[in-house]
Amino acid sequence: MAQMVETLEQQHKTDETALITGSEAIAVACKLADVDVITAYPIRPYDTVMQYVSKLVSHGELDCEYIVAEGEHSQFEIVKHASAVGARVFCGSSGVGWMYAMEALTVTPALRIPMVAMVGNRALDDPGAFGVEHNDALTVRDLGWMLVWVDTAQEALDTALIAYRVAEDRRIFLPCAISCDGAFLTHSQALVKIPAQEKVNEFLPRYNRGDLLLHPDNPITVAPQVNEDWVMEIRRQNYAAMERTTAVIKEAYADFERIFGRSYGNPFFEEYMTEDADIVLMGMGTLSIPMKVAIRQMRKEGKKIGFVRLRWFRPFPAEALAKSLGRFKAVGVVDRDYSFGSPYMSGVVTHEVRTALYSAPGPKPPVLCFICGLGGREVTLPDITRMTESVYQAAEGKAQPLTQWIGLRE
Amino acid sequence: MSEVDFECAECTNPVEPFLRSERMPHIWCPGCGIGTTVNCFTRALIDSKANLEKLVVVSGIGCTGRVAGYLKLDSFHTTHGRAIPFATGLKLANPKLTVVVYAGDGDLSAIGGNHLIHAARRNIDLKVICVNNLIYGMTGGQTAPTTPEHATTSTNPYGTFEPGFNLPHLVDAAGAVYVARWTTFHVRQVARSMQEAFKKKGFSFIEIISPCPTLYQRRNKMGDGLDAMKYYKQASKVKNGAPTGEVGLTKTGEIAVGKFVDRDRPDYRELMVHRFHESLGDEYVETGELVCS
Repeated sequence: MAQMVETLEQQHKTDETALITGSEAIAVACKLADVDVITAYPIRPYDTVMQYVSKLVSHGELDCEYIVAEGEHSQFEIVKHASAVGARVFCGSSGVGWMYAMEALTVTPALRIPMVAMVGNRALDDPGAFGVEHNDALTVRDLGWMLVWVDTAQEALDTALIAYRVAEDRRIFLPCAISCDGAFLTHSQALVKIPAQEKVNEFLPRYNRGDLLLHPDNPITVAPQVNEDWVMEIRRQNYAAMERTTAVIKEAYADFERIFGRSYGNPFFEEYMTEDADIVLMGMGTLSIPMKVAIRQMRKEGKKIGFVRLRWFRPFPAEALAKSLGRFKAVGVVDRDYSFGSPYMSGVVTHEVRTALYSAPGPKPPVLCFICGLGGREVTLPDITRMTESVYQAAEGKAQPLTQWIGLRE
Repeated sequence: MSEVDFECAECTNPVEPFLRSERMPHIWCPGCGIGTTVNCFTRALIDSKANLEKLVVVSGIGCTGRVAGYLKLDSFHTTHGRAIPFATGLKLANPKLTVVVYAGDGDLSAIGGNHLIHAARRNIDLKVICVNNLIYGMTGGQTAPTTPEHATTSTNPYGTFEPGFNLPHLVDAAGAVYVARWTTFHVRQVARSMQEAFKKKGFSFIEIISPCPTLYQRRNKMGDGLDAMKYYKQASKVKNGAPTGEVGLTKTGEIAVGKFVDRDRPDYRELMVHRFHESLGDEYVETGELVCS
């Protein structure tokens, strides 16, 4: 017995390394964060996380209430209410499953519920497709959700811990969705450092809902009907909370580095080979993997190209990004999404980047949009070469179409 | 419009004219029972001499949901759980259609459970074929509302503890006029029940217990597709007219099969027309059939 206690104590203090998928990394983060209530409903590719959570719960490694609900709508409603009574919660979905939960997704930030959800990004039906597209998670971009895209299993685990820390901060109390590209990340294994429980405990305080706790000893009404009397003030509170997220995220990343001894540098976006770059490509999620390979190859040919991977989409790091992108002669944004009928028919990320640049002081390089890799289609090295050529032309002042579909069957 | 060509010269099987052969191979696993139910369905169509010009198949999402895409009939692969609302819309807009809902247990009783009970309550004239493999097959074998207690699933590695739905009892209580259950071992009975349902006016529900060797049987050490047939043969007991409250399923116990409910009551449209006649008298003009120009 004494030996067993000693082993457990030792485990508590040591980091481990494991070969796990992006979904499994999120499940491990749930275990480390000691989540209280988890709900699930199967839809590919998010459903992989369900199996990992089930194992942890069944093996007694994660002490939580776990329900496979009867649909995504009830799935998100259950955790929303569990969070209101003080439970740390986790759930998630993919594609149309995320859309089916939309009513619950809408009210969650308005009620200041710090839910952490995983989106296994998937194309919206119809037509049916299981592959990655970012339009699912992006639909909540205006509602008060924090949105973050990760590109490795390690980052998925770390970001989930950071998401709890930020979402449950009393200054914030907003939900956070962690987007993991379907199949490319949810199903791909990589070596992941699993931090020691002791460090996680130091990093992540218990969720404390304070005076907002729904409890018999604290009689409050959640979500009363307020009509035009108070709606604007309540929206303004959400606005203020979202405004505070930038500072709280920075704080969390700094603390993460201090406690875990690993750093992500700039929390909001990653820059790859940009120091001397003439032009850059930009995108979110696992796009970074073919992109970095292509850039290394093109660098050998003497082309000075860099890559910017946007991590946090909400809050959008407008000022910092505009300042950074102003250094280059032209920018190509790769959108794994679409926004039909929007300005210049560009993708969602492009619009945000153009807006950020338009209102910022300093140089405003041309921004081209490349719609690419929809429905899980691979983004190939020739695709990237084609995009790069167009961005170079734009850098030289030659007019280019503002939106181009790349890798399309002609 | 149906594209079924009964004169098909290359066809070697009577069922073949109903299938979109260009979409083969299908996605169903070896030993899966969904193909068997499709065979029964097409045979029921042939034997009942159903007017294929007036027949529509609506399916939901999941393994069974793929049926709509493989049949050479007017069909629609709808959103998850919404096969019944879609079918309701079809039936209301064009009452002369025979509307078949072909879906799995997960689609019909979990995410679409609310629609199932309300369509039965309203007695919408739909023929609901529910292929029940006791699990969410397509997404990896998670516990479904139909999974029997103690069965092992990917979300309950040590066995489920939630009670499962007794679907015949549920739809009976909600008001269905025809309720039957068979297994994929009972191919003739399935086809006969389908024919009866085609003739019945109102909400008909046929549950077909079907094997999922890949995800349900493997985890529960219940063997392959053939073992499932042996189990169905040995465990099934015909109980026509049995009170539906007594036909719930257990993991390895008896499977009550048969026609449990066959009764008549006015369907939704009949009630609606009657009510409008009552309140508006001669001013009420019944709408006719929608004609596509």
